[in-house]
Amino acid sequence: MLFDQAVDIPEIFKSERVSVTLIEGKARYNLRVKAADVTAFKKSTGLKLPSKIGSSSLSKVVSCLKLGPDEWLVIANSTQQKKLDKVFEKASKDFICSITDISHRNIGFEVSGELAAKLINVGCPLDLSLTAFPVGKVTRTIFESAQIMLLRTGEDSFHVECWRSFAPYLRDYFKRVMTTRY
Amino acid sequence: MSAFRKAGRGIVDSAKAINFTFDGKTYQGFEGDTVASALLASGNHLMGRSFKYHRPRGVLGAGSEEPNALIAIDRGTGRVTPNVRATTQEIYEGLNAESQNRSPNLKFDMGAFNNAFSIFFPAGFYNKTFLWPKSFWDKVYEPFIRNMAGLGPAPTADDPDVYASSYGHCETLIIGGGPAGLAAALAAAKSGEPVILVDENPQLGGSLLTTPTIEINGKPARDWIAKSLKILSKAENVTLMTRTTATGYYHDNFVALVERITHHVPNAKIGKVREELHRIRAKRVILAQGAIERPLVFNGNDRPGVMLASAAQAYLGQYGVAVGNEAVVFTSHDTAYQAAFDLADANIRIAAIIDVRDEVQNDLTEGATQRGIKIIRSAVISKTFGTLRIKACEIYEPETGIKTKIRCDALLMSGGWTPSLHLWSHSKGGIKWDADIAAYLPDVANENAVCVGACNGDFGIAAALSAGHKAGQKTGGGRKVYKTNEADFGTGVVNNGLPNYIDTAKQKAFVDFQNDVTEKDIKLAVLEGFKSIEHVKRYTTNGMATDQGKTSNLNALEIASKAVGKPIEKVGLTTFRPPYTPTTFGALTGYRDAELFDPTRKTSIDPWAEANGAVFEPVAHWRRAWYFPKAGEDMHAAVSRECKATRDSLGIFDASTLGKIEVVGPDAAKFMNLMYTNPWSALPVGGCRYGLMCREDGYIYDDGVVGRMAEDRFHVTTTTGGAPRVYRHMEDYLQTEFPHLDVWLTSTTEQWATIAINGPNARKLIEPFVEGIDLSPEAFPHMKLREGKICGVPTRLFRVSFTGELGFEINVPSHYGRALWETLMEAGKQYEICPYGTETMHVLRAEKGFIIVGQDTDGTVTAHDAGMSWAVSKKKKDFVGKRSLARTDLTANGRKHLVGLLTEDPNIVLEEGAQIVTDPNQPIPMDMLGHVTSSYWSEPLGRSIAMAMVRDGFNRMDETLHVPMPNMAHKVKVVKPVFYDPKGEKLNVV
Amino acid sequence: MFEIHCPYCNEKRAEIEFSYAGEAHIVRPNAKQQPVMSDEDWSRYMFIRDNIRGEHAERWWHNAGCNMFFNAIRNTVTDKFVMTYKMGSPRRTAKQIDVARETNTADKAKT
Repeated sequence: MLFDQAVDIPEIFKSERVSVTLIEGKARYNLRVKAADVTAFKKSTGLKLPSKIGSSSLSKVVSCLKLGPDEWLVIANSTQQKKLDKVFEKASKDFICSITDISHRNIGFEVSGELAAKLINVGCPLDLSLTAFPVGKVTRTIFESAQIMLLRTGEDSFHVECWRSFAPYLRDYFKRVMTTRY
Repeated sequence: MSAFRKAGRGIVDSAKAINFTFDGKTYQGFEGDTVASALLASGNHLMGRSFKYHRPRGVLGAGSEEPNALIAIDRGTGRVTPNVRATTQEIYEGLNAESQNRSPNLKFDMGAFNNAFSIFFPAGFYNKTFLWPKSFWDKVYEPFIRNMAGLGPAPTADDPDVYASSYGHCETLIIGGGPAGLAAALAAAKSGEPVILVDENPQLGGSLLTTPTIEINGKPARDWIAKSLKILSKAENVTLMTRTTATGYYHDNFVALVERITHHVPNAKIGKVREELHRIRAKRVILAQGAIERPLVFNGNDRPGVMLASAAQAYLGQYGVAVGNEAVVFTSHDTAYQAAFDLADANIRIAAIIDVRDEVQNDLTEGATQRGIKIIRSAVISKTFGTLRIKACEIYEPETGIKTKIRCDALLMSGGWTPSLHLWSHSKGGIKWDADIAAYLPDVANENAVCVGACNGDFGIAAALSAGHKAGQKTGGGRKVYKTNEADFGTGVVNNGLPNYIDTAKQKAFVDFQNDVTEKDIKLAVLEGFKSIEHVKRYTTNGMATDQGKTSNLNALEIASKAVGKPIEKVGLTTFRPPYTPTTFGALTGYRDAELFDPTRKTSIDPWAEANGAVFEPVAHWRRAWYFPKAGEDMHAAVSRECKATRDSLGIFDASTLGKIEVVGPDAAKFMNLMYTNPWSALPVGGCRYGLMCREDGYIYDDGVVGRMAEDRFHVTTTTGGAPRVYRHMEDYLQTEFPHLDVWLTSTTEQWATIAINGPNARKLIEPFVEGIDLSPEAFPHMKLREGKICGVPTRLFRVSFTGELGFEINVPSHYGRALWETLMEAGKQYEICPYGTETMHVLRAEKGFIIVGQDTDGTVTAHDAGMSWAVSKKKKDFVGKRSLARTDLTANGRKHLVGLLTEDPNIVLEEGAQIVTDPNQPIPMDMLGHVTSSYWSEPLGRSIAMAMVRDGFNRMDETLHVPMPNMAHKVKVVKPVFYDPKGEKLNVV
Repeated sequence: MFEIHCPYCNEKRAEIEFSYAGEAHIVRPNAKQQPVMSDEDWSRYMFIRDNIRGEHAERWWHNAGCNMFFNAIRNTVTDKFVMTYKMGSPRRTAKQIDVARETNTADKAKT
C-alpha cells in the first residue's frame, strides 16, 4: 500500500536557525487508566507512565506523555506496534482502562533550532522560556486556530502534534513565518 | 539649510539629507525628521483640512496626539495608508505623502464652503437635519453623507504587505521610554527577570529628547540616555522596542503591542513583514505614558501656526526647527514660559506672553525680562488673523476692554497638562480628580500595574526619574536620587470659557480639532438636554475621532461641567477604549489572511477529488466534494447521473469527515444508554445500531450509526458538523454528571478514512480485496460490522446504508484512505463505478426519508416529531432528554411532524424553507402550518420529492396543502417520507 | 484575554485554551427523582439560572489542555477570577471565597 504522509515538507523548512521536519513512522495510543489500577498497569506493561500532568518519560523507543489526570499519549516507533498491541490487549483485559490506537489521527513535526520557541510562539500563547516550559514538559494547547500537542524535547527542539487535517494549516503557517520573518 | 532650521539645535543628522514629496512637491529633510518637522523646517505649516468645515490646519502637536496633520502615505497599488499623523511619520528617501480631506488641493478646497455655512452645522447636525422628507434619503442625504464621511482615502486594492503576530511573556512590561520609563527599566533590569520597554517613537528618551538643556546628575540628558541605553542593551533580560505602540491593555495584564518594522524604510520589500502584533502577557505593567499638553479654547485657535507650546519646544529641541520667526505665547500654565525661553534662546522673537492669570511667579517674570519678553497678564487672545497661516492675533484685556493687534507667525498655547490615562483606563484602573492640577489621576489599580511619571502626576524630570526607579525595583531596594537642573515645573489654572467680547455664536473656539467640535457645540448639547458626559460625547462627537480625544477630552469636560453646573468630578470622564492610536487592519490580522485565515480541513481522499474535477462545498471546517461534474454537465445533470449510477450499479463516496468517537471501558454500554435515546445493552458485539442523541431538553441533537466492537468498546459516529459538540456534550456529562462510570472517550474522527460503497454491485466490488471476513449475506447481514483486512490493511467494515442500497462503509487508518479509494476506483470500472458527492448523498437519503440533523430538524424537533419514536427506548429509566420528552407541551397534540410532500406537478421542485398553508387564498397573515425542509429532483422516480415539518402532519396523510410562491401557489399532497423502495428490498441484493 | 488557573494542571493558562460551560453546581435530578418532578420543577432545573451580579460559580472546560471541566468563582462585574476548583468538590462557602480573594490581593501586593 502507498503511504500518504498527509503533508509535504518544503525545502524552506531547513534553515540554520530553525527547521521543521515531519516525524514519520510512529505508533500512537491514547491511554486512559483508572487511578486505582495505574501502579499495577505500569508494572504489567513495563511502561514508564509519569504521574504529574504535563510531564513525560522520553526514550527513543517508547515515550509516555501525561496530558490529563488519567490520560497519557504513548508514542512509539512503529516497529514496536505489534509488540505494544499485544501488551495492550492483555492490559485491556486485566485492568480498568481505555486504549485506543490513534497512530493515523495525529501528524507530528519536529521544530528545532535557536528560533524554534519563537516560531511556535507565533501562534501559541504559552510561555516557552526554559523555566516555565522545561525540557520534557508536554501539554495540549493552541496554535492559532489549531489545537496542538507540544512537547519540549530539548532546549531548542520541540515535538508538535496536531490532528491530520490541521497539519497543512500548521505547515503553511510555519512556512509563511519562515519566508517573511527569518 | 532650510529657512527655519536652527544650526546646532536638534538631534537630526544634518549630514544625511533626505528627499520626499508632499502633495507632489519635493522637500528635503534630515535623517531623524518627521514629515511634520521637515515641512515646518521649510516654512510649510499648512498640512491638512479639518473634517467637518474643511478649515486649513497645521500641526497642533509634535507626537501621536496630533489631531490635524493627517496624511496619506502612498507606496503604490494596495499600499496606501490613510490617516497617518505627519508628526509621527519618519521621512525616508522617496516617501510620497499626500494631504487629505481636500479637493482639488490643500490651498483651495471646495469643501471649505462648509466653513462659510458653519452656522448650519451645529452639534447634532446629522441627527437634526436628515429627518425628512423620506424621499430625500436615497438621492440627497445619503450621497451627501457618504461624500462627507471618513477622513483619508480607503485603499482600493489588496494590501500585498505581510503582517506578523506573536505571543510573548515578561516579568515587567514598561510602556513609555521617557525619563520615568527608562529609570524603571534600569531598576527592573537588575532583577534578572525578563523586562520589555516599549516606546512609540523611533528613539527612547521621551521628553528628554525635546529639552536638550536638561542635565541629570550634572551631565547632559542625552549622555544619560546614551549611558542608560548602553546598560539596557547589554542586559540579556531586557528587550527594547521602539516604533512600538501599546495599543490596548486587556484582562490579566495582556497587552497588545504593534511594532512598525518598515514604516521608516525606503523601498520596503513586498513579502517581508511590515508590522508585528506582539501579544504580551506581563506579570506586572509599569505605565510611563507621560502627559499631553492641553490646548486653550479661544476664538480662532485652529489657524495653521497655532500649536501647543510644548510642540514648538519639541520642534526646536529635537528637530532644530523654528516654528516661526515671531511667536506669541498664550498660556494659563507656567510650563509655557520654559518653551518661550527655549525659543527665545534660539533667537526666535517672542512678541509677547499673554497669561490669563493675574499673578505670575517671580522667576518667570525675571526670565522673561532677561530675554526682553513682554508679559501681558489677565489677558486673552480674542481673535486670530490669517487664512492659510496665522498673521496676527488680537489681545483683549477684559478688565480695561483694551484690544491690541500684534503680528505673529506662530502662536504657542498652553492650558496645562493632561496625564495620559488611556491604557490605565483600558485596564479598568480607577481614576480620581485632582483639583490642584485640574486633571484625573490614577487611583486604585485593577491589574498588577502602576503609573509613574507625568501620567501619575509626577511632573518634572527629577520626579519622573525617581518614581520610575522606585516602580522598577522588584522589591523596595531603596531610593535613588536623581538631580536635575530643570526649572520648577510650576502650576497653572483652568479656564473653562475664556472671556471674549465677541458673541459666542460667532466664535470659532475649537475643542476637538479632528472632529471640528467647538465650545459652542458642547454648550448647545447641554442646553438641548444632554447632561451625561457620555451623551454629550456622542451628540457632539467630541473625542470620537482617530485621536481618541487626547487633546480635547478634558477641555470638553470642563466646558460641559460648567454648562451643566456640576463639579467636574461629578460629571465623570468618558471611557477610553483600545486602540490607543489608529491601528492598521494588517496588524490586527497578522499572518491570518488568505489560506491562514482558518484551517480548511481535507480528508486523505480530497487530493483525488480535486484531481478529478470535484466541485467542493464547505461543511463545518471541512471541504467536501459536492458533486463531480463531467464535461458540459451542470450540477443538476451531474447529481442526476450520480444518483442513477449508484442505484443502478455502484457509487463510491468519501465519508471520512463523519465524526467518530471511541467509547471504551467496562461501563461503556451504561454510558451509551444515558447519552442516546436507544437501548444499547442488548446490542451484540459486531452489531450496529442507528443512534439518536437528544439534549436534556428532549430535542434531537445528533445522530449516527454506532457499532459495538467489544463488550467494552463502541465505535460511535456523528454528523460531520456535529463532531465537536457531540464530543463536548459527552465529556461534559461523563465528567460532571456520571463520573462514577468507568468509561473514556477518544476522538477518532481523523484516525479513520471512511469510504462508503453503495449499489447493487457493492459486495462484488470489495469481495476480492477483503481478507478474514465472510461477506455472504447470511454471515454478514445489514447493520453488522466486522474487523479484518482490506488490501492488506486493517479495516472496520460496517454493513450500513444511507442510500437504501446494499451498502458498506469501509474504515481504514486514514493514511491508507487515498490508496484504497484509487484501488476501488480501478476495480470498479467493470461496474461503471461512480464517485458521488454530498449533494447526491442528500438526494439518495431523502428518497429514503432519512433525516439530516440540522436540515430536517432545527433544535425544536423531538424524535416523535421526526417520526422516529422507534429509536426512543421506553424501558430505560434514564437518558439525557427523557424527562423533557414527558413535558406536557412535547406530548401535546398539534406539534409539527416530519412528512413527505409530493407536488401535483411532478416537475416542480419546491424551495427549501417555503411555507405551507391549507388555503392559499386566505387573507394575510396566513395560518402557516410549517415549512419545506428538504426538496430535490429524484431521477429514479422521475419526479420531485420533498420533506417538510407540518403541523399535525401524521394525521394529514393524503391531504392536499399549498405552498405559496411569488408567482403561484403549488398544490402538494402529504405522504409518508419514504419515496423509494418502501419495503427496503434493495438493501438485501445478493 | 483572561489567564485562568486550571486546578488540574495547577497552572495559569491563556483563555483561548478554555471554553465557558455555564453555571456550576446545578445537579441533574436522578432517574428516581425525574418522574416525580412537576414540569415546573423540571423547567427550573433546565432553564432558570441565578445570573448573579458579582461572584458567580461557573464551569469552564480546559479543552485545549488537560480536557477537564472544573469550577470557578468569577466576579461578573470586575471580570476577576477569585478561585478555581475541581469538578465534584462542593460549592465554595462565602468564607472560603473571602479567604481566596484576600490571598489573591496579598499575592498581588507581593509582586
